Amino acid sequence: MNAQVTRRAFLAGSVALGAVGACARTSGAQAKTLVVATFPGTWSEAHRELLAPYFRKRTGAAVIQSIVLAQDQIAKLVAAGGARPPFDVAMLDDPQALDAVKQHLVVEYPVAKSPSFKELLSQFQDPWGPKISMQVIGIGYNPKKITTPPKSWDELWQPKYKGRVGLTALNSQLGIAFLAELNRLRGGNETNFEPAFKALRELLPNVGAIGANLGAYATLWQQEQIDIAPYNFNFVQTLKAKGVPVELAMPDTGPVGWRTSLHLVKGAAEPDLAVQYIDSHLAADLQAQMLKEPYDVIPTNGKVPLTGPITQAVAKTHADLARIRSFDWEKLNPQRGALIDRFNREIKL
Amino acid sequence: MLPLAALFVAFFAAPLCVLVGVSLFAEPEMTTRSLGQYAKFFTDPFNVSILRDTLWLGVKATAVCLLFGYPLAWICARARSPWRSVLLFIVVLPVLTSVVVRTFAWIVILGRQGVLNAALLALGLADEPMRLLFTEVGVVMVLAQVQLPLMVLPLLTTLTRIDPNLADASAALGAGAWRTFGRVTLPLSVPGVVAGCILTYAACVTAFITQTLIGGARLIYMPLHIYQQAVGANNWPFAAAISVIFMGAVLGAVFVLNQANRFGGGRIYG
Repeated sequence: MNAQVTRRAFLAGSVALGAVGACARTSGAQAKTLVVATFPGTWSEAHRELLAPYFRKRTGAAVIQSIVLAQDQIAKLVAAGGARPPFDVAMLDDPQALDAVKQHLVVEYPVAKSPSFKELLSQFQDPWGPKISMQVIGIGYNPKKITTPPKSWDELWQPKYKGRVGLTALNSQLGIAFLAELNRLRGGNETNFEPAFKALRELLPNVGAIGANLGAYATLWQQEQIDIAPYNFNFVQTLKAKGVPVELAMPDTGPVGWRTSLHLVKGAAEPDLAVQYIDSHLAADLQAQMLKEPYDVIPTNGKVPLTGPITQAVAKTHADLARIRSFDWEKLNPQRGALIDRFNREIKL
Repeated sequence: MLPLAALFVAFFAAPLCVLVGVSLFAEPEMTTRSLGQYAKFFTDPFNVSILRDTLWLGVKATAVCLLFGYPLAWICARARSPWRSVLLFIVVLPVLTSVVVRTFAWIVILGRQGVLNAALLALGLADEPMRLLFTEVGVVMVLAQVQLPLMVLPLLTTLTRIDPNLADASAALGAGAWRTFGRVTLPLSVPGVVAGCILTYAACVTAFITQTLIGGARLIYMPLHIYQQAVGANNWPFAAAISVIFMGAVLGAVFVLNQANRFGGGRIYG
């Protein structure tokens, strides 16, 4: 919903960008333009500030961003229905990447045309679309109110946090990942989510707010409406950079996360440029730039050494990155609708 | 007229037909036709309760809007010329900013550390911060403020059109201010009240942004329900069916309000 809210703002933004792009196309010489999808917030900023200039230097082509969440990208590609797609490069998280491949919305990535592909750590070399980063979730907390960093997810259930715990709805990746991890820890599996829902029902007295979307969720932290909640490494870094009192602690059960990938869209208008763009994102020198603050984008290229805040919160070595637990989205995806529905029914005041 | 009609057909009627068409598929893959999505909606008390809550939310927000909007419109209508413009500008001012910005501002006002709670605590009116954000009370408050201009403007138009001599005549015949208001001004302003209520009601029940930002994910109203089914669950046929049902329900409410106008109007002029 942030989705909706931000989508409006972003729509306006993308129209503006589009207008700028159109002017560039008419006034400039033969410079080509590539339309790419990116996520709202820091992702679009990092892509605009670092990736687009890098790509421009390499190919001479300009980039127009279409700032859309992963699920909305799928919806847009489905709506285009095989006609000319609205963008050439899709940016998706693990679950949506599976959907996109299954629904034939993206084509196989031409690995041979992409020199940086083989430099990726093995778990990031996906032939349907190379992984460009990881998103990792942990326990977000307000260091002004909670002086000892939490060590376990179980701390969310402690009575002292009555009314101070936050959650997000399941339409966000963060929400569904937290639910799946909770379910695993409480003894459930992909076919039985009862343990997770039982735990959430028990958590309700502590829950102060459930953000309908990630934008609203960020506001909850900013307004100090919540003190402790599942959160995502990159969002924490973004808020910290804005002076919001928030830190991320890794639970003793280990970090969990999902991977983010770029894909060549089926029927793309500029397939060669699209591959160049994706390859630019895989390049070691670009990923090293994106790893720096304020973006802190977790690298996937084996030649990029891990430095900065990521080594304190998420992973010290490439081997640590490989150990970050993922989920079986193949099994989770078909249940998403039912889980959202169940969450809406059971997790109410 | 013709270009307008063409525009209406191309951008309103045609998408609406597509919406109805999509709602008639039995499953998300859209292969077989059936009325199953509608049956699914009405046989599940959860869905019906969301529809009921949404329509009832609109009633409450519209009532609050009317309560605050009527006196405001009346004051505007009575104000002398430079003041009327100033007041009118103040009434219209909120419309000039985006509803997103206004709603986020309300988060700052209603939050635990928000302006309202800080004031309540400082004045000793409450011992601990009141829960306003993510409650229906909060949603009604914000909707009423955000949609207030939609109530005030039609009312203002109607009130300024009422001949002031009528009130004078009523006073000359011995009626007090309240009696004049109850017997003359109020009945004559019924068309404005109804127009304002229709606009406000339709805007309140469909206010996705305000409902989700202030209500959070625990209070589910129809617009969020539709969004979750369409984008979150990728179940377009069900989302389309809910949309059609919701549209029907809102049209029904508007129809009832319109009937009230006829009834009210008939009493005065008939």
